[in-house]
Amino acid sequence: MAEAMKQVVAGMLTGIERYNPENLPTLERYVEIQSRENAYDLEANLAVLKLYQFNPHKFNNEITSQILLKALTNFPHTDFILCKCLLNEQKLQDEPINQIIYLADVLEQCDFEVFWTRVHSMPELTQKITGFLDSIRKFVCHVVGITYQTIDRTHLAQLLGDVEDKTLKHWVKKYGWKEENALIFIANQDENIKTKNINEKIDFESVGAIMASCR
Amino acid sequence: MYDDYEQPAYNYDYESDFGAHTGDPQLDNEYSRQMYMMPEVVKNFLVYFRNAVSEGSVFELQNLYEVHWPKLTEDYFEKRPWPEEAEVAKIVDNDPVFMILYKELYFRHIYARIQGGPTLEQRFNSFYNYCDLFNYILSAEEPVPLELPDLWLWELVDEFVYQFQSFAQYRARLQKKTPQELETLNSNNKVWNVLCVLNVLHSLVDKSNIKQQLDVYASGNDPDTVAGDFGRHSLYKMLGYFSLVGLLRLHSLLGDYYQAIKVLDNIEVHLKSQFAHVPACQISTSYYVGFAYMMMRRYSDAIRTFSSILLYIQRTKQLFASKSYQHDQINKQTDQMYHLLAICLVLHPQCIDESIQQTLREKSYHEKMYKMQYGDLQEFENCFVFACPKFLSPCPPPVDSIPDDYSKEAIRHQTQVFVEEVQQQKMLPTIRSYLKLYTTLPLMKLATFMAQNQRNNDGNWDIDKEIQSLIIHLLCFKHKMKNLVWTKGSSGLDGKFQSGSELDFYIDNDMIHIADTKVAHRYGDFFIRKILKFEELNRKLHHLKL
Repeated sequence: MAEAMKQVVAGMLTGIERYNPENLPTLERYVEIQSRENAYDLEANLAVLKLYQFNPHKFNNEITSQILLKALTNFPHTDFILCKCLLNEQKLQDEPINQIIYLADVLEQCDFEVFWTRVHSMPELTQKITGFLDSIRKFVCHVVGITYQTIDRTHLAQLLGDVEDKTLKHWVKKYGWKEENALIFIANQDENIKTKNINEKIDFESVGAIMASCR
Repeated sequence: MYDDYEQPAYNYDYESDFGAHTGDPQLDNEYSRQMYMMPEVVKNFLVYFRNAVSEGSVFELQNLYEVHWPKLTEDYFEKRPWPEEAEVAKIVDNDPVFMILYKELYFRHIYARIQGGPTLEQRFNSFYNYCDLFNYILSAEEPVPLELPDLWLWELVDEFVYQFQSFAQYRARLQKKTPQELETLNSNNKVWNVLCVLNVLHSLVDKSNIKQQLDVYASGNDPDTVAGDFGRHSLYKMLGYFSLVGLLRLHSLLGDYYQAIKVLDNIEVHLKSQFAHVPACQISTSYYVGFAYMMMRRYSDAIRTFSSILLYIQRTKQLFASKSYQHDQINKQTDQMYHLLAICLVLHPQCIDESIQQTLREKSYHEKMYKMQYGDLQEFENCFVFACPKFLSPCPPPVDSIPDDYSKEAIRHQTQVFVEEVQQQKMLPTIRSYLKLYTTLPLMKLATFMAQNQRNNDGNWDIDKEIQSLIIHLLCFKHKMKNLVWTKGSSGLDGKFQSGSELDFYIDNDMIHIADTKVAHRYGDFFIRKILKFEELNRKLHHLKL
């Protein structure tokens, strides 16, 4: 469904057609399909927000919230900022947009504990978005993957939202990490993260002229 | 060659003729309508100008546009509008195309130079004149026989977007408007409508097939093969290209950074191409692209974009120093870009070209960077507000809103988004400053430093809690410093996740391992410069005649 829609919608996003408010119902339906089917199309969603920007009376709080939640699922990409820039001061204060803004803020700061507590305290906010929690866990794994060489097992479970051992094992396996008793081995970071020495390289071009004039 | 007016036919006494200036714009307008005598040199200039347009002598036009028009403006129209339409029409046999072009320059001059800015009526008329111009160009069956210098075309498109921006700001300031003005505005919603502006720019893009041309050009083939009848014509091709940059600016003004970058697909911003020989256009492009990257937290890309254009400006400064009106604009944008670069470098320290670094060491920038490094949010905000585009809301305030000033809303919102980003990163500089001192550092030790640093007064803190919050900051550090960086491909949106900043680290259970970047002194560069200087001196000495 989402795949088929993608083709239809692509035509609505080219050239001046992008600003045609008559496309809005289709694009809004597409947002709902993305939420339901765990698909994602940033460009179409930005087009919806743009249409709201141009036609303030058509603004739909529910659709906007879904777009913002979907943008959270695409962390570490900065889609959320792009969406936020197309809204305005007053809309950021509307319920539940303000809640989602808060979630994004703690997520950006990698304060996962606060994030999970908040999400679990209001399950109705995110339940429309299929695969929401797992998408966030993917982001957690991304951050862990670039930060750690080895990490304490219980700590990792906490970051993932106090998951059970079985779930923890699932994620460890998915990312090819290794369990070493109380620790999890992530990757050998020595190879990626090492001190760089920038030495001056003088190429022929820059000395060519001088050498020519020294004859 | 046209040089008539440099030796005026008669000695025109400017002082005595304009002596009756009252200072009151309303009266002066009346006065100039009744009493104004067009100087002979201006008359001759306009006739010559019109002939050059109809003959399509681009070289001549370039001279008239870039040299004579600004010169005459300075001599005769420094603080007053150019002659009215009716006056000029008489002289040039009502040539319709020339009159549209003349009016474009006439209104542009009013926007730029006349105190108090354009009136509501002038804003409307300027808009209708643009409609006439674009209708003439776009609705023709075959390419219109018109050729204009590239600089003019660029300034035309840029001015069109600027006047839209100016109108949107003006429209949002409800507090000073009379009921009649509001009435006129409300009943003319189509004038300077954002869709209309978008439509013009998109039509120019489509008509010229410029996207296809750039695509073919990027793959090393001849753009003419896909240009079509219109796109092969220089007028359409250049208007198409400049409209892409116009769209970049327009999208940026509306806070749509994704579209801003996307519209430039197939244009390699940092490379010089056959299209990029108008410096003002080059500079403007880099400014908006760099800004959009910064907002998307693609600091490496922003830094690359800014430093490459700033280097270009440094090297070619003398070239446009003579043309004062361009010079002011370029100077302003250069200063803004140094501010943006300073912001990016504080958030994302990175090696840049030595000569750019040199400028940033100058007092005014250095002080600002220092304050930002120490987490002064107000300083971040000041730099941002100074350097950002003049954001606007695409729609006028609702008809029933209380008469207030709504023109600052958009800029406040974008500033807020930016400040929130900075706030999320507020601990990173402190952590970075500690990490810089070590190659390995236990979590516990760093947590102790951080705790002492924060509340050195009571000494009551719990080490476990401190470690926990330190880990959060460290994760945040890694997350914020790993961003998309463009490496290859035709779209500026493409990129790979990279850690481009100079300091990096990883955590092995409870030990932090730090990797820093060490830059060796650049002796070669220094010597090359000195040798060249010496050579130059030597040459001069040889030429001395005693």
